[in-house]
Amino acid sequence: MKINVQNSISASFTTDLSKEKIILETKNVDLCYVPQVRTLTNVSIQIPEKKVTAFIGPSGCGKSTLLRCFNRMNDLIPGISIKGLITIDGIDIYSPETKLEELRKKVGMVFQKSNPFPMGIWENVAFGPKVNGIREKAELDEMVESALIQADLWKEVKDRLNNSALDLSGGQQQRLCIARALANKPEIILMDEPASALDPISTNKIEETIDELRENYTIIIVTHNMQQAARVSDYTAFMMIGEMIEFNATSKLFTNPEKKLTEDYITGRFG
Amino acid sequence: MNKIITFWKKGDSYILLTAGGLLFSLAMVIFMISIILIKGFGSFYVSDVAEIKMKDNTIYLAEILEKEEVVLQSESGKSYKQEQTNIKIANRDIFDQDFKWINSQEISKIEYPQNVTVFERWEYGNLIAYVRNLNYNGKVYLTSDKDFWDTFSRAFEKSEENKSEKENLEEELNDVLSPVSEIQREIALMEINFSWKTKEIEKLKQEEGTLQAEINFQIEQLNKKIEQKVIENSEIYAIVQSGDGTEITLELEKVYRFCRPNDMNFIAKSGLYLTKIWEYLVEDPRESNTEGGVFPAIFGTVMMVILMSIAVVPFGVLAALYLNEYAKQGFVTRLIRLAIANLAGVPSIVYGIFGLGFFIYFLGGTIDQLLFSSKLPEPTFGTGGILWASLTLALLTLPVVVVATEEGILAVPKANKDGALALGATKWQMIRKIVLPNAMPGILTGVILAISRGAGEVAPLMITGVVKLAPTLPFDTSFPFLHLDRKFMHLGFHIYDVGFQSPNVEASLPMVYTTALLLIFIVITLNLSAIFLRNYLRKKFKTSAF
Ligand SMILES: Nc1ncnc2c1ncn2[C@@H]1O[C@H](COP(=O)(O)OP(=O)(O)O)[C@@H](O)[C@H]1O
Ligand SMILES: [Mg+2]
Repeated sequence: MKINVQNSISASFTTDLSKEKIILETKNVDLCYVPQVRTLTNVSIQIPEKKVTAFIGPSGCGKSTLLRCFNRMNDLIPGISIKGLITIDGIDIYSPETKLEELRKKVGMVFQKSNPFPMGIWENVAFGPKVNGIREKAELDEMVESALIQADLWKEVKDRLNNSALDLSGGQQQRLCIARALANKPEIILMDEPASALDPISTNKIEETIDELRENYTIIIVTHNMQQAARVSDYTAFMMIGEMIEFNATSKLFTNPEKKLTEDYITGRFG
Repeated sequence: MNKIITFWKKGDSYILLTAGGLLFSLAMVIFMISIILIKGFGSFYVSDVAEIKMKDNTIYLAEILEKEEVVLQSESGKSYKQEQTNIKIANRDIFDQDFKWINSQEISKIEYPQNVTVFERWEYGNLIAYVRNLNYNGKVYLTSDKDFWDTFSRAFEKSEENKSEKENLEEELNDVLSPVSEIQREIALMEINFSWKTKEIEKLKQEEGTLQAEINFQIEQLNKKIEQKVIENSEIYAIVQSGDGTEITLELEKVYRFCRPNDMNFIAKSGLYLTKIWEYLVEDPRESNTEGGVFPAIFGTVMMVILMSIAVVPFGVLAALYLNEYAKQGFVTRLIRLAIANLAGVPSIVYGIFGLGFFIYFLGGTIDQLLFSSKLPEPTFGTGGILWASLTLALLTLPVVVVATEEGILAVPKANKDGALALGATKWQMIRKIVLPNAMPGILTGVILAISRGAGEVAPLMITGVVKLAPTLPFDTSFPFLHLDRKFMHLGFHIYDVGFQSPNVEASLPMVYTTALLLIFIVITLNLSAIFLRNYLRKKFKTSAF
């Protein structure tokens, strides 16, 4: 099936965010990994605070790329160029005044494939606070415990905090990565398909964890699983070939999409 | 015929061929190791001494070594075979050489008399002889006397005691004299450099005079004591008789150790064997390295390897880190990598020459001018020494460390590096906490390769600081303990020196094998410890199985 993206995109969508406080905003973001080849085109979106926002769309459409703009993980890629404006709490995160390390402390990230460091569980969770300058053992202990509790892992590991993190199961490792991000006390947590490599039970557990975190954190989650987006998110953004097609409250987007492309995608006609 | 073709076609032949290749390589290695093992350990063996009577009535007292068939030509031009026996007759100072080939057919009788004594001497190698009598305490003891050998041992101990006392006294004398020689040196320097300061010179000369007067008495006393010890020791001697009947007066002071191998049982021999191995490991060499121990060479080898590792690892690791983590990848980094890989193939003597030119003449010379100008023209760092030798070898092994470290760094999962950065770590924090620990096995592989290469190198050392006999170790109890400017001994060079440069090559051959064995052993030990460390770290940092 052939889709004419250009046509559908020219018409813009409407999003009702009147009840929300906006924490993160992008304006006309263009991104090229390779000169002249746009991976993101004119992306403008507003992310509400203390809500779960899901990015969905066919694979390769640029969801991860957009997500990685928010904590500037793309900066490292040689030859990349990013245009447009991205602000968090009204401050341009790409301005020279923004300190990269502070931004990343504020915007935590959980990767698609769990990546615990080859050290003990405690060391893993304490990594962030330590690199951010906290030295005192008691304070670190407290932060580690609180992060592990929030990530629903404390009960399982509290007796073996010094054991290698690599001995945990896949689902536990991913929750450890969540705890590791939480230990930094971030405002925003970016999750890039955090459950895509996990079995259904572990996936369920992660979703429960996200549900518990929504009160205190702004969560942006990339997923290719539409049921998951529908289950966990308050808002959903649908992307295609580097463009933001539609962004709306999850209930609205899944029941009554504005765009034909969105409807085609969520009803499984392509993707 | 068909069968042969299918045999080749099936490829079975290649199994045989490759297996043969492996077998051949293994056989060569095992052959080499076993020769070195047998010969190396054999050199400490305490063999019996035979009294060999020839048909023409000459008598040899000697250790029988090996037999060999040789083809000779008679006067009429006919060639014939003859079996010859190699014997160690020792007594180098009488017979000019330690070894002799004799015609086996000419031997009429071989006996192993109980009372033959082998003396290991401080000089001139072994002496094999019958002891006739002993002069000690002004008395003459005969071998037939009761407890003769106990008396002999006591006399030997007494002479050793006298000798060490004499050495202590000489040292004391040196200490007493040193302030005077210090002033004399100062005067000489003044006279050369500041000859116009006559007043100062005069003052120094006066000082010298008073000092001299003060210590005169002390010196006299010490000299008297030393004289006495010398006289005492000259009166402790044995009359011994070599195989050919020559009588020799042997001052016991000249003896390092004696034994009567024919009178020793297996346990006594084993004991002596172990003692000799121990001495070999912990003592200084004697007789231009052909006898005694190799401790300074072991010490020098190990210390040089350690210094080399200390120098090469930080530089190699930093270079590899920069190349992989900071430098923009492209043509230049590719070029640098190529250059590093090729540097590993440069012959070691080239590094030696560079070390001589750059480290010794340029760096050392500059250091001397800036810090040790008072000692010039005598060089301090401007001549070969353990520091320069280690740095030269560090340079030589730098490529392997860089390459191995790079491999280690590349093996660190990108997911972990990104994870650390995403937590707000700076690049350097990420490198220190994630990259370095995970790359440690690779770094250690580099160290292992560097040690393997560095410990066995001799050529570059010969022009950067190795000597055949170093009077002092590069590390000792005198301030500042670590003497990086000192020359040092090295097992590899020791092998070359003893085996090919010594005046008595045949006598020192066993020592060559033993030293080769020791060198192999040390390199293997250093390597194994690095390998164990690496395996331990590998286990610790094994990457996620998930
Ligand atoms: N580091 C990179 N360099 C060049 N192209 C990249 C890089 N990362 C992703 N891309 C390309 O950008 C596009 C979007 O990728 P991505 O954001 O990972 O998609 P998604 O997460 O939606 O599946 C893809 O076509 C991908 O090939
Ligand atoms: Mg993705």
